[in-house]
Amino acid sequence: MKPAPFAYRPAPSVAGALDVLATEDAVALAGGQSLIPLLNFRLARPEVLVDLNPLTELDHLEISQGSLRIGALTRQATLQRSPAVAAGWPLLTEAVSHVGHAAIRNRGTVGGSVAHADPAAELPVALAALDARFHLRSGSGERTLSASELFRGPMTTALETGELLVEIEVPPAAPGVRMAFLEHARTHGDFAVAGAAVVVVPGERAAIALLGAAPVPVRASAAERAFLEGADGAEVARLAGADVGDRYRRALLTTLTRRALERVLA
Amino acid sequence: MTTRLVGAPLTRREDARVLRGETRYVDDIAIPGVAHAAFVRSPHASALIRSISVPQPAQADGLLAVITGRDLDGLRPFPVMEPNGARVAEGEAHPVLPLDDVRYAGQPVAAVIARTRALAEDAAELVEVEYEARDPVLSPRASDLALMSWSRRTGDVDVAFAAAAHVVSGRYALPRLVAAPMESRGAVAEYDAGEDALTMWCSAQDIHRSRAQLSHILGRDEASIHLIIPDVGGAFGSKGVIAPEVAAIAVAAIRLGIPVKWTEDRLENLVGAYQGRGIEGDVELALSADGRMLALRARLWADLGGYLLTTTPVPPHTAATLITGVYDIPVADVEVIGARTHKVPTGPYRGAGRPDAAYMIERLVDQAARELELDRIELRRRNLIRRFPHRTPTGLEYDSGDYEHCLDLALELAGRDEPSRTRPADTARGTGIGMYVERAGGAFESARIELHAGGRFVIDSSSSPHGQGHDITFAQIAADRLQTEPGMIELRFGDSASSPGGVGTFGSRSVAQAGSAVALAADAMVGEGAGLAAHLLGVDVGAVALTAGGFVGSPEGGSEALSWPELAEAASDPARTPPARDPGPLEAVARFESANVFSSGAHAADVDIDRETGQLTIRRLVAVDDAGTLINPLLVHGQVIGGVVQALGECLVEEAVYDEDGQMRSGSFLDYSLLTAAEIPPIITGEVETPTPLNPLGAKGAGEGGAVGALPAVANAVADALGGRHVEPPYTADKLWRALHEPVSGTRSEPMSRR
Repeated sequence: MKPAPFAYRPAPSVAGALDVLATEDAVALAGGQSLIPLLNFRLARPEVLVDLNPLTELDHLEISQGSLRIGALTRQATLQRSPAVAAGWPLLTEAVSHVGHAAIRNRGTVGGSVAHADPAAELPVALAALDARFHLRSGSGERTLSASELFRGPMTTALETGELLVEIEVPPAAPGVRMAFLEHARTHGDFAVAGAAVVVVPGERAAIALLGAAPVPVRASAAERAFLEGADGAEVARLAGADVGDRYRRALLTTLTRRALERVLA
Repeated sequence: MTTRLVGAPLTRREDARVLRGETRYVDDIAIPGVAHAAFVRSPHASALIRSISVPQPAQADGLLAVITGRDLDGLRPFPVMEPNGARVAEGEAHPVLPLDDVRYAGQPVAAVIARTRALAEDAAELVEVEYEARDPVLSPRASDLALMSWSRRTGDVDVAFAAAAHVVSGRYALPRLVAAPMESRGAVAEYDAGEDALTMWCSAQDIHRSRAQLSHILGRDEASIHLIIPDVGGAFGSKGVIAPEVAAIAVAAIRLGIPVKWTEDRLENLVGAYQGRGIEGDVELALSADGRMLALRARLWADLGGYLLTTTPVPPHTAATLITGVYDIPVADVEVIGARTHKVPTGPYRGAGRPDAAYMIERLVDQAARELELDRIELRRRNLIRRFPHRTPTGLEYDSGDYEHCLDLALELAGRDEPSRTRPADTARGTGIGMYVERAGGAFESARIELHAGGRFVIDSSSSPHGQGHDITFAQIAADRLQTEPGMIELRFGDSASSPGGVGTFGSRSVAQAGSAVALAADAMVGEGAGLAAHLLGVDVGAVALTAGGFVGSPEGGSEALSWPELAEAASDPARTPPARDPGPLEAVARFESANVFSSGAHAADVDIDRETGQLTIRRLVAVDDAGTLINPLLVHGQVIGGVVQALGECLVEEAVYDEDGQMRSGSFLDYSLLTAAEIPPIITGEVETPTPLNPLGAKGAGEGGAVGALPAVANAVADALGGRHVEPPYTADKLWRALHEPVSGTRSEPMSRR
């Protein structure tokens, strides 16, 4: 479990990192909680590792014009401990507490979790439920994607070669919004088998994002519509799980959605 | 003798050192110029080796040598134990490195020695092995080769079954598990050509077995192998046989003339270290109309893997011989077939056959209670063994025990402070009892004790610890007998240069065997001390007695006391030691040997299953264990908790999963799940102390009981929650959900085929 040889380059600046990522067989190292094991298993064999950790400008967590702006290098533990996040977007506080264990969250970054796009990861699903916007930067400029545009498949995003996720923007929380994140995992801290992130303003807005329904975070749009039309929690939950083929997984997603709804409506 | 210390819950003296990170594990052994080994491993579960092409040292940075099976002429494969009465196949022992074929994915095929481990892994990628893959055999029932087998038929079983009012049968299976010690395996080998002496530091359970295995494999006298066991970060049975890789680096060190280190990484440990359990069986019980157990039939298949390692035949033999459990079943017909499959070999893992037996018989007894419509506790009471020694129909002799007392205490503790009676909606609730008896102790160990200046004792024990707490436990035993304080006693372990003869640390035997040897050595030291004191006091040795203040003569001889420090001084003084004795420290040696002793216990579990998610919650576990006389109840408690937690892992999540090609699908901790503290329920322990008559301490073994009893207790509780439906562990949420929501497919209880 030693990585194949690679060159290590601490990023001098975002622009410098983008340059290496664009011109060499390079991958970006953030918290390393997934990448380092992949290197050690020799499943990833880049020639160059660009270490983003020196880029303090990517390590920020602030509220700007009501939106939450999360620098890609923000540690998961920072997100978890932020009183501002807990007050405005408690879904994130709840979801991030399920990410691995404390030592992993101390090092692991929010941007790394998003860019790695593990289908069993919590943060992409929570961010999808919150209509987060993902700011990407490359040598040729910036672009902003939604969750459905960013997450393309298991461990696959729309990030192109030479492009870096620099910031995640979570829109302002609506007055009266309620949110809950529930998941099922084999053990505490393990990757989730299934999960449901629910963000609702009764009568006005509903976002239900599912973990484990597909290889990417999915929004249960039929369930969301039914909720707005006044369907009860059990029916909304049934619709959320309706497209899942495996009976057990369907039951799990339906139950988690229903319980999440019960919690926000309690 | 007063027992001030035996029975006292003293903490381990190494705790501070361990907690501060001051321990020295094998990877911490730093020798200048040491080279590192990495291994090329088979990607196939079963394949012929067509050719192996290896890089030359000049072709890879830092490469020193590549060793394959062709370079190992004259080496022997692993020695293999033959458990009592078992047939063990010839020619199926694990080779250090294979010549012609590979029999499990992950099998080491070539050793690559380089300046660093990373360079060795780089160079390993240049080794080209041409394989001709074959279809692997993965199910023990589908295998046509028995690596071991054992059977025993006592009494007229067929007649008993024919006459029985009820016959209850069950089919059971336990998956393979990995031991997952925090410190993986590893060794450092250094060779002195001038002295023809091989020195090895090895992460192992004991020096004796490891050295004997190395001696056999390398064809080298034990005396020419100096084996040192530094601190060991857990073993759970998985370090009782050296790794083939360890033998390979010994060869490398000898051939290259430089020290070589191999530190097993987690990936290697998961795919290459021998696994535990992996057994299935059909068991049938004949009962009278009033619920008396009349006879038992069992046919077990153990999934032994591709080769025999030294102790591979032991767990299935143990499972088969313990299959009648704590019950007085007069006749039995039991057979176990240890089948060759194309997986890594199995071997002892905490319990090593004991949980397997307890799981099968205890599930069957619950099933019998259900079918006979008898209370499951009452059915047990009617059949418990009550008279000792008890000879089982499988040929074991249980020395002592009080099984009903264990059961009563478990029920009492389970009835006290019940966990919340409020059952959440959509919850299936179950309770279960699991009883067990376990083979502990047996064979010999020894100890040497020396009296040093100031009354300090140094004891060399033949046994060595890997977390159990031998040090304080043995100090307690000796201090009572020597009428001194534990602080005056230093224990030394794990160095073949100073260790007296012994067997090893395994099978819940250290206190019973090595502790008894320490007791006898201490007694002998008291005899030595008395002899010297008598000489100095000018009285007959029979008139000398040891008190807390030292040796005193009889009242008629005066009240002068001679302390251990005074004796230590006198022993080395030519003017004061008896003429017949050479001046020098007092010393004594003792060897202790006995038959097996049998620990036992009763565990009780309360479980909830969430009907909607299938999630199993173990609400509480009660563990009552009878390990005989307890020397250190604190450490016994720790052993029970640790064992229970491993059993709960087995119940909830642990399983080595292989796909249809024989690839292990749980080859990292991402997939092979271990419990965290969050999953551990309240564990309530209770002790019963039925001393064994077979050793001077009355002590049995406490190392494995926790892992043995909790499994059947939880299994019975889960079946209870499922309305009697049987599901095999691990009780994962999807499995339980399907058991609750999907109809039973096929018939599970098939009549057993008779041969």
